Amino acid sequence: MRRRIAERVSAAWWAALTRAGLSPARWQALPRLRRRAVKSVLWVAVGLVLVAAFGTWKASALAVAAVVILLVVPPYQKLMVGRFPLGKWIVPAAAIAIVISYPYYLNSMPQVPIFGPFPMLSTMVAMMIFSMMALGLNFVVGYAGLLDLGYVAFYAMGAYMAGWFASDQFSKQHLDLGAVGQTAGAIGFHFSLWLVLPMAGIATAIVGVIIGLPTLRLRGDYLAIVTLGFGEIMPQVANNGNSLFGFNLTNGPEGITPIDSPGFGGWLHQHLHLPANYVTVGNYDAVFLWTTLALVILTVFCSVRLRDSRLGRAWIAIREDEVAAAAMGIPLMRTKTWAYATGAFFGGVAGALYASYKSGAFPNDFFFQISVFILCMVILGGMGNIWGVIFGACFLSYLDREGLSNVGAWMNGHLGTHVNVPLYEFGIYGAIIVIVMLFRPEGLIPSSRRAAELHEGVHDDPLYDAETV
Amino acid sequence: MSRKFTLLALVGAAIAVAVVAAGYTGSARSATKGVQALPSSSCGPVVYKGSGSPDFIVASDLPLQGAIRAQTVQISRAIIWALQDKGWKAGAYKIGYQSCDDSTAQAGAWDSGKCATNARLYAGDKSVIGVVGTFNSGCAEIEVPILGRANPGPLGMVSPANTYPGLTKKWAPGEPNKYYPTGVRNYARVVATDDFQGPADALWTQSLGIKKVYVLNDRQVYGAGVAGTYVTAAKKLGITVVKNVGWDAKASSYEALAEAIKKSGAQAVFLGGIVCNNGAKLMQDIKAVNPKIQLQMPDGFSDPNANGAIGQSAYISVAGEPPKGLTGAGANFVKSFGKSVGATPNPYSAYGAQAMEVMLQAISVGGGQRSTTTKAIFGLNVRNGILGNFTIGASGDTNLTPVTIYKQKGKALIPVKTLVPAASLVG
Amino acid sequence: MATHAHIETSVRLRRSAGAYVTPVLATALLAVLIVWLGINFVKGPAYFFTISFIGLTNGAVYALVALGYTLVYGILGLINFAHGDVFMLGGMFSATMILSAFHLSTHASTGELVAAILVSLFVAMAACGLINATIERVAYRPLRGASRLAPLITAIGMSFILEDVAIAWKGPGYTAVPAVLPHGQVFSIDGVVYTWEKLIVVIITVPVLAALIWLVQRTRQGKAMRATAQDRDAAAMMGIDVNRTISFTFLIAGALAGAGGLVYALYFGQIRYDTGFQLGLIAFTAAVLGGIGNLPGAVLGALCIGFIQAYNEGLTWHAPGTNWTESIVFSILILILVFRPEGLLGERTPEGA
Repeated sequence: MRRRIAERVSAAWWAALTRAGLSPARWQALPRLRRRAVKSVLWVAVGLVLVAAFGTWKASALAVAAVVILLVVPPYQKLMVGRFPLGKWIVPAAAIAIVISYPYYLNSMPQVPIFGPFPMLSTMVAMMIFSMMALGLNFVVGYAGLLDLGYVAFYAMGAYMAGWFASDQFSKQHLDLGAVGQTAGAIGFHFSLWLVLPMAGIATAIVGVIIGLPTLRLRGDYLAIVTLGFGEIMPQVANNGNSLFGFNLTNGPEGITPIDSPGFGGWLHQHLHLPANYVTVGNYDAVFLWTTLALVILTVFCSVRLRDSRLGRAWIAIREDEVAAAAMGIPLMRTKTWAYATGAFFGGVAGALYASYKSGAFPNDFFFQISVFILCMVILGGMGNIWGVIFGACFLSYLDREGLSNVGAWMNGHLGTHVNVPLYEFGIYGAIIVIVMLFRPEGLIPSSRRAAELHEGVHDDPLYDAETV
Repeated sequence: MSRKFTLLALVGAAIAVAVVAAGYTGSARSATKGVQALPSSSCGPVVYKGSGSPDFIVASDLPLQGAIRAQTVQISRAIIWALQDKGWKAGAYKIGYQSCDDSTAQAGAWDSGKCATNARLYAGDKSVIGVVGTFNSGCAEIEVPILGRANPGPLGMVSPANTYPGLTKKWAPGEPNKYYPTGVRNYARVVATDDFQGPADALWTQSLGIKKVYVLNDRQVYGAGVAGTYVTAAKKLGITVVKNVGWDAKASSYEALAEAIKKSGAQAVFLGGIVCNNGAKLMQDIKAVNPKIQLQMPDGFSDPNANGAIGQSAYISVAGEPPKGLTGAGANFVKSFGKSVGATPNPYSAYGAQAMEVMLQAISVGGGQRSTTTKAIFGLNVRNGILGNFTIGASGDTNLTPVTIYKQKGKALIPVKTLVPAASLVG
Repeated sequence: MATHAHIETSVRLRRSAGAYVTPVLATALLAVLIVWLGINFVKGPAYFFTISFIGLTNGAVYALVALGYTLVYGILGLINFAHGDVFMLGGMFSATMILSAFHLSTHASTGELVAAILVSLFVAMAACGLINATIERVAYRPLRGASRLAPLITAIGMSFILEDVAIAWKGPGYTAVPAVLPHGQVFSIDGVVYTWEKLIVVIITVPVLAALIWLVQRTRQGKAMRATAQDRDAAAMMGIDVNRTISFTFLIAGALAGAGGLVYALYFGQIRYDTGFQLGLIAFTAAVLGGIGNLPGAVLGALCIGFIQAYNEGLTWHAPGTNWTESIVFSILILILVFRPEGLLGERTPEGA
């Protein structure tokens, strides 16, 4: 059906062009690069017209630059300097440079039509942190093909680890381990956040294993429901945790606050000019952005290395065909548990960092919708594809923080509607999920391997379905 | 031949550029002249109807999404009313207002991430001279330290609704000093804390001759807090508290819970929480099982419309003097603002307007500096304010601690008695 | 689908550790439960029965929703996440019928009431049946050949879409339905009071359940459903129109959800966009507890969950209380899935193990 409409449009288009003397044959005869260039210029033109209809010349210039870079210059990918494949590194390096320098040029950026101003630094921090969580979930869903609907439990675990080891929570104890900005007479555990982050990751990974060991025997959909159950129980335990057998573990609904900020301390500050304590430097959001970026890069590095490792290939084998994988001698339980633990680890680190950024952990922060939110990032971008997942995470967390309310304000201002757009946030995510699963299950930026699976299906095709697709 | 394609593309591009040039209208950056507005993703536009352009912005920080929306939007309007009432001015300074949202649609309630983000926005925007908020104590716990570290100078915050005691006085270990890392106070409130409201409610329970109560809380900061102080005071007054348990706002029915309450022989139920957390259904189920039981609630149930008919003859406590008993500015507020919203204002709206007035008064003596403005909040004497005459103490608490008990009659709250709990009951 | 290797590995695991752990744990849990219930019963038999009636009634409502999950799971192996939200829409339809079409109030006469309930029931069942079948056609059928997780993920998306439809329609607040059911006593023995509105819930629920079981067990269409559930390919080869049968199953499941929605709106008196999600999870737990895919199992599971909730909140001797109700329900879900995926009445299938 879809195909037919597209074909018809294309045919009509070519008929018109042929009449003007430009036949498909001629078009095909052009060199590939030239075809690409013409196409790009046409796209730029379309983009410009759209921008012109709504926006300013600065935005137009930006759009032009972006489109030109993306479409006209693709052969750069093959660029080599000696034996070093420089081309492969251009896009990641450019992306990192764009993010690092973001605090410096943000204020001189123009408004984008419809979407309003560029995302604030705090939104960028959220985008980075959610990228990390989405990459963590990607280990479970994208690589190992296990659906986890309770990822928020890991986020909560990480956040509470930060709450336990970097705040006044355990008021009867006092232990100061490299924390910055401590006043005399402080109570509770105050570990340096650089210590808390790996601790949170490891503790969360252990929780992941504990959840995983009994449940990973189950097949996909049952596993999804069990994880959902854990995701629902976790915030309730956090909420009731102010008197677990008389012990105040989580401070109940009041939450744990404030949580310490990261910092490098006086010595490193003097010698390397690293911020001594994040909260006391003027550009809190900027240093946090750089910190989170560093952690995202680390996560990406781990993702790439693990994906290409023996373990990663075992995950993908399990995802593609569990039975065959088992027959080839892959230990199912151990491999799956590793996927779970790895995913949990990054969720925990991201959760701890986010809790420190917000300076608080509250049971109300951890609800089921967040699990779906992160899942939606992975699905939208492309399950199993690192760049796709990062794109999905950045885009959706931008929508969540700013995009939807800005678009809503624009809509209500220009179209005279009175729709509270953010109210429909989850309907929009639901629609994204359904549309992506139906029409492009491999996501916007697919990994080729996953795309093949999702289109063909890993199970044998049933007989009766032949005529319906 | 290939030139034709190139030509086509170039013509297209040329048309596009022409359209762009024609459509160029200059920078779209929206800034009210004089002040740097807070961004639209968190805050509404700058509201200013005075002459010229404002010198400073006062922002309000409220959860504007979810079930609480109707109430918080009214508070925001009351804040505007107060500013309008003062001619958009605080002493020599012209003041604009922005209403900021600390909730997300995702949560349908305040969100800690949003609170942190907002606080940093206020702290980083030099046009912002004061903040009125927050609505939820948990959100204040996050925002107060951030505002305290703001540069230049600590940014003051006056809350119309936070009742959690630990924000200003010794409560849990580490409180309140952990919220003031620089050692300078920057947070005040015009509302009496839970440790007054709970005891006042307990006093009223005692004066009703009730010997046995059942306490429920909605498991949120406010609800659990007020229920806790109620239980402590009630025990001191010799009232038997059967249990203090949470109710699940998402439950379909509370019938079994209601049966348990009935069986316990409690003569009254105290509901620590807010009506938005399925409070109406809870009251219905409790009353259906035991029609004779007395319902008693704190100001989370202060909206008789939300309570519905089931709230009939329930006792509801609200801190401060009753609006009808207010004279001068208070009476004027009830009349004038009530007219603009077309109903009796919600009690919290009066607090919102009062918080704004306190902020404006502090700004007028603060000399246009954040730190001096913040300092001016403490020890501030309010004469003929919307809530009456009162003083903000050095800790940031109001000395206006009377709590009025109301009885719901139809869609109105009738003041019954104003209580001042003794010091031995508080804390 | 060849799952021999998989069964092999899981069986080995089960033998090594599970063989001893599971029965011991289950027996211990059951013993604690029975002792706890027993002591509560002895401490106040009349009160115990009162609480039991509450549990029974809630369980009946859960059963209507749980059956929908079980029907769909039985035939497709799909957890229809959107089912709870279809149920919620059913409640919204019913609320609209009762409020706007019939203008029922608390003082309606019996005739009026019966007519209004029957018409509303029909409308809600028809509307929800159609919605559910449409969802299947649009969102699940195109994915039938794809991996097993694809339709589950789509179902989650559908669930959110339906919730937002309800928000757009009724707003984010509760839609209140007046207490139109009579609240008088049916009987009162020794302080045990049974009221009409509870009986009416059962009166609506039981015939619907009976009709369903008749349909599945006795009719041609039911036979087709059972055949499809057992082996889709074989059923197709035997000349059963599998696609039609699946559509029909979704229609029936939706109709049950619609009936559940009506009963919910009437009995609990209010409904909101997220009611379906919450109750859907509970009902799903019930279906799993009874043995997913098993019709009587779903009813049994739903009643069990209803009882457990009511006992937890209502009983006074060492009950964990309302703070933990949700955690208990989900713990049951997890424990059952982990230790006895086939549920109370189900047969051991490779799906769960």
